Amino acid sequence: MSKGTISAVLLTAIVVALHYAQKPVHAAAQPQQTSANAPAAASVIDSGGALFYTNCAFCHGRDAAGGETGPDLTRSKLVSEDKGGDNISVVVRNGRPDKGMPAFNLSDAELNSLQAFLHNRMLIASTQKGGRRGVDVSDLQTGNKDAGMRYFQGAGGCAKCHSPTGDLAGIATRYQGLRLEQRMLYPGRARATVTVTTASGQTISGTLAYRDEFTIAMRDANETYRSWPMDKVKVSINDPIQAHVDLFPKYTDDDIHNLMAYLQTLR
Amino acid sequence: MKLLQSTLILALATFSLSSSRMAAQDLEPAQILHPSTDSWPTYHGDYSGRRHSTLTQITPGNVGNLGLSWVFQTNQTAPIKSSPLMVDGVLYFTLLENVYAVDARSGHQIWHYTYPPNKGFHIGQRGLGMYKGYLFYLSPDAHLVSLNAKDGSVRWNVIVADYTKGYWTTEAPLVIRDHVLVGVSGDFDNLRGFIRSVDPETGKTQWNWYASPEAGTSNATTGGMTWMTGTYDPDLNLLYWGTGNPTPVLTGSSRPGDNLYTCSIVALNPDTGQLTWAFSASPHDTHDWDAVETPILIDGTVNGAPRKLLAQASRNGYFFVLDRITGKSVLTTTFGPTNWALGIDKQGQPIPNPAKEPTPDGRLIAPDESGLNNYRSSSFDPKTGLFIVDSHPAWSIYFAKPEDGTYGWAGADYGLWGKAVVEAIDYQTGKIRWSREFGEGGASAGVMTTDSGLAFTGDPFGNLVALHTSDGKTLWHAGTGSPMQSSPITYELDGQQYVLTSSGGILFSWTLPNNGQ
Repeated sequence: MSKGTISAVLLTAIVVALHYAQKPVHAAAQPQQTSANAPAAASVIDSGGALFYTNCAFCHGRDAAGGETGPDLTRSKLVSEDKGGDNISVVVRNGRPDKGMPAFNLSDAELNSLQAFLHNRMLIASTQKGGRRGVDVSDLQTGNKDAGMRYFQGAGGCAKCHSPTGDLAGIATRYQGLRLEQRMLYPGRARATVTVTTASGQTISGTLAYRDEFTIAMRDANETYRSWPMDKVKVSINDPIQAHVDLFPKYTDDDIHNLMAYLQTLR
Repeated sequence: MKLLQSTLILALATFSLSSSRMAAQDLEPAQILHPSTDSWPTYHGDYSGRRHSTLTQITPGNVGNLGLSWVFQTNQTAPIKSSPLMVDGVLYFTLLENVYAVDARSGHQIWHYTYPPNKGFHIGQRGLGMYKGYLFYLSPDAHLVSLNAKDGSVRWNVIVADYTKGYWTTEAPLVIRDHVLVGVSGDFDNLRGFIRSVDPETGKTQWNWYASPEAGTSNATTGGMTWMTGTYDPDLNLLYWGTGNPTPVLTGSSRPGDNLYTCSIVALNPDTGQLTWAFSASPHDTHDWDAVETPILIDGTVNGAPRKLLAQASRNGYFFVLDRITGKSVLTTTFGPTNWALGIDKQGQPIPNPAKEPTPDGRLIAPDESGLNNYRSSSFDPKTGLFIVDSHPAWSIYFAKPEDGTYGWAGADYGLWGKAVVEAIDYQTGKIRWSREFGEGGASAGVMTTDSGLAFTGDPFGNLVALHTSDGKTLWHAGTGSPMQSSPITYELDGQQYVLTSSGGILFSWTLPNNGQ
């Protein structure tokens, strides 16, 4: 090939590559988060957008697809199951203090415009082909399932508490993609158990309800809430999730991707 | 005779005018150089950023008797994130669009200014600057407003940055002589960060210093937002400020190199804005780790010799001690779990591991995006040589793929787990002398230390605690109902030492009974 032809081929290749860089390949199909709400008037959506921008966009992004610290609401199960704001209002009015989301004192009309905006964003996001800042199931397929199984049964120590045919049977049917990976790394909802021994020697056990430096609280065997001042009792806590936290400094990124590949076989 | 009479009358009039001016709530810039104990004249308390008070009325021995003096209720649902100023018996503080003047003795409101409804990001407001009888307030939509301290009326309003481009502002302006220094925020667009010096009388721009090249420069970064109030050394006449992360945030392919001066600590001449030196806390950052934590000035000792130092417990997990004359590194160490650097280079700067940049399938990163430290002020206690920081050890996963583009956030990150730990770092060795675990979940509050050996801070559950600075033992606490999102201040008034904290929309003041007698 002559120099000219090589240059032409190269140039064409570059142009083609740039073209595809700007028009990304459509992500593999995944369960769509759809919205079971009738579309709202444009003016209501716009009001909701303005409200969202000033109050929510810092954490959740201007397009609700995630920002500093806040999750992508366009992929949120809560938003997709929301009907006319029934779920959304509760979260907005109460906040999520354990996750750092403040409460917002908004009127019914304001909340209505906000939910309209969010449902509209979810609709738009589900039809978008590119420019998304989320994580698709197809992104999380880089691991080796056999290496993952070896890690699960060996160095990871997972088999000490978990079983692929027991508690984890069907896990990949219950959770997919990012949600599966997040729960794999830190299953936040599992409750610690606590045993309190009082000065008189009485022992009470239950699930941990609250703990700070000064107060310990549990739900006892009868689901009754009970608390004590920390300095008046002896406390022992068994937190099953601690093993997950202990793994953080030990994982390589390959371990995580391999584990994901393995868990995704447990359907 | 008439001329003498007129002159006398004129002289008397001038004298009484200036007397009434002295009785007014005024702050001469020289008062910020040597703050009296009956004041808190600037965001950090003084120019050093140590947030350390010489007051000793409240001691480890008597803090157990600390009680509520008064509260001020803003009746707002958003939390207070500001440190109040206290000047001449009046407290001035902010909450988003609200500026309050409150009697520091009684907690009663003197006046309340509300900035008009606007479309800026309402993420927080850290407080005010003061110059003579004027206050300076940065609005969510990046305006600088000057108010009359007497009654909250508006003197002037100037635009600092264009909020429609994606800028917003939250910080407390810093006043140095006849300069009002302000900075900006804005990570969702590819914008230049800058520090601006404004004339306190007219609002006119005196100079701008830009943290990054002009937007659109090829293969160059934008960003370097100047989020938090800096510090100042009057003997060196150097202004120290931290800059934020580069944009696009989570992807670095369009901005190769160290991305100066993002994620940096910079020293500027406050009269001209000229850069004297810069230190990069995170060269080529891809994790949103602003280096805007307080650059605390320490007059310390290194190898037996006195040194003028600057220390920062940075977002990215590193504790940096620099020579504040030259900007050269004295010590670099971590103060919690980090996994993203290959080591430290000859300049004392971390070397980012390319294998820990965000990828399509994710990378496990310590700390998380909100960082091992953040807006909550650390405190340096010169008596113990301890740098007290409310750290947040955490783990997270970071993703970025080509489809995310090269604009704004350009990726996604998710925190997995974190906990709150108060640490006392020995500034000379970087070693942690003591640490206190406050529990899993969010982070704690800012820290303020006093000469009597107390460190005031808040845990993630709303408890305000007084710790013994030397060993971290809790000596007193009070449940305030909402996690503190501010840093405490203290002052004395009428022979009484007050500690001021906030929780939710409420300002609390704490004192000893009977002035501690």
